[in-house]
Amino acid sequence: MINCAVDVDLYFYGELDGAARARVEAHLRDCAACRQRLDDLHAIRQALADRPVVDAPPTGDWSGFMRRLESACAAAEPAARPAYSAAGSSAPSVDAAARPSGPRTAARAVAGVAAMLTIAALGVYLAMRARESAPAARPVVRVAAAARPAAAAADPLREATAEHLERSKLVVLGLTALDPRQTRAADWQYERQLAGTLLDDTRLYRQAAQQRGMADVARVMRDLETVLIETSMSDSTDREALARVQRLIAKRDLVMKMQLAATN
Amino acid sequence: MVYRLAYQFAGNHYDAEDIAQDVFIKVFRSLDRFRYDAQLTSWLYRIVMNACIDHKRRHAPAGWAPFTEDAELRMANTPEERPGPEEQAYGGQLGEVLEAEVARLPPGQRLVFTMRHHEGLKLTEIADALGLAEGTVKRQLHAAVHRLRAALTRARVTAGGPA
Repeated sequence: MINCAVDVDLYFYGELDGAARARVEAHLRDCAACRQRLDDLHAIRQALADRPVVDAPPTGDWSGFMRRLESACAAAEPAARPAYSAAGSSAPSVDAAARPSGPRTAARAVAGVAAMLTIAALGVYLAMRARESAPAARPVVRVAAAARPAAAAADPLREATAEHLERSKLVVLGLTALDPRQTRAADWQYERQLAGTLLDDTRLYRQAAQQRGMADVARVMRDLETVLIETSMSDSTDREALARVQRLIAKRDLVMKMQLAATN
Repeated sequence: MVYRLAYQFAGNHYDAEDIAQDVFIKVFRSLDRFRYDAQLTSWLYRIVMNACIDHKRRHAPAGWAPFTEDAELRMANTPEERPGPEEQAYGGQLGEVLEAEVARLPPGQRLVFTMRHHEGLKLTEIADALGLAEGTVKRQLHAAVHRLRAALTRARVTAGGPA
């Protein structure tokens, strides 16, 4: 005995197991009303699929949104958790709003806004991934540029490395967002290609930072280089490759280090 | 993904930006609680869904709740106060009519429908993210589909197509 309308919906959305699915299919052969329900669902899907996907503000201009976000972040910063500690350790898991706010320093504000904008860039990145547009056309680069910390502007090399780190976050955060159990080689093809294109620049920035005595930048570039090599050289048929790259990112605490380097 | 979902829920850029902004602030504040071995997208979905509900709650009468049994009953019968498809040009695109009907769905139904239909999340994932029983999510989805089906039928009748 099946509940026709509900089960047809669940059948359409692939929510039924084998036996229930077979029952509905048998029922559909005899029930014109349920066949009509199923046809309606296909029509609804088709009609909605034809509608434009809105995943950005009007005309794709994020600048207003980013400005408002910066203001909101600055306003929220005293209640938020402090930016990552120099050691890269996580803050205790308490509700930020309940924690007494400490003295507000310019550095913390910059770090907070930078972290926020990175997250915003990640959101845009995920949207871009979903749209599968060409890397060169992805507006996330514009967002990343807007997210560049003001502190980096004082030194051209630091500014350039900060921009490079923002670009590289596309790869690193993209990789951490994937589930190795459900990810096929094609799903992270974009990250592997982008890692290869970022590799030479990363090496140059590491060498430049070493020569200039910028040890913090040199260290993060070295770790990034290691991850990019591992990513770009990954064998697409190796099912363990993605998990290995993710372990490497976690072991090197790369996300935190990139965050810190970009805000120093 | 964040903006797309926010827009699908809110139906306009103004509220979508508000929701997206809330999401990013919440992500920032809870970043230290994210486990890097967890699925980032699932974690983000949960935050987006909660931000949508919070946003609606802020703009709703006192006592509003999206998923209580009472609210569930109300949802089945009480559409949002927005122009209905009847007031739209039926001769226009069917997609527009259905999109308008989605925007009129009660918030709980709209959220569940959006997560299942547009984002492709399984019902168990939606239930988990919203902290609901799977049966509740199924009922919300069915109620949403029921209304969209009715809108489809009305649109076909008006357009003179197959009923």
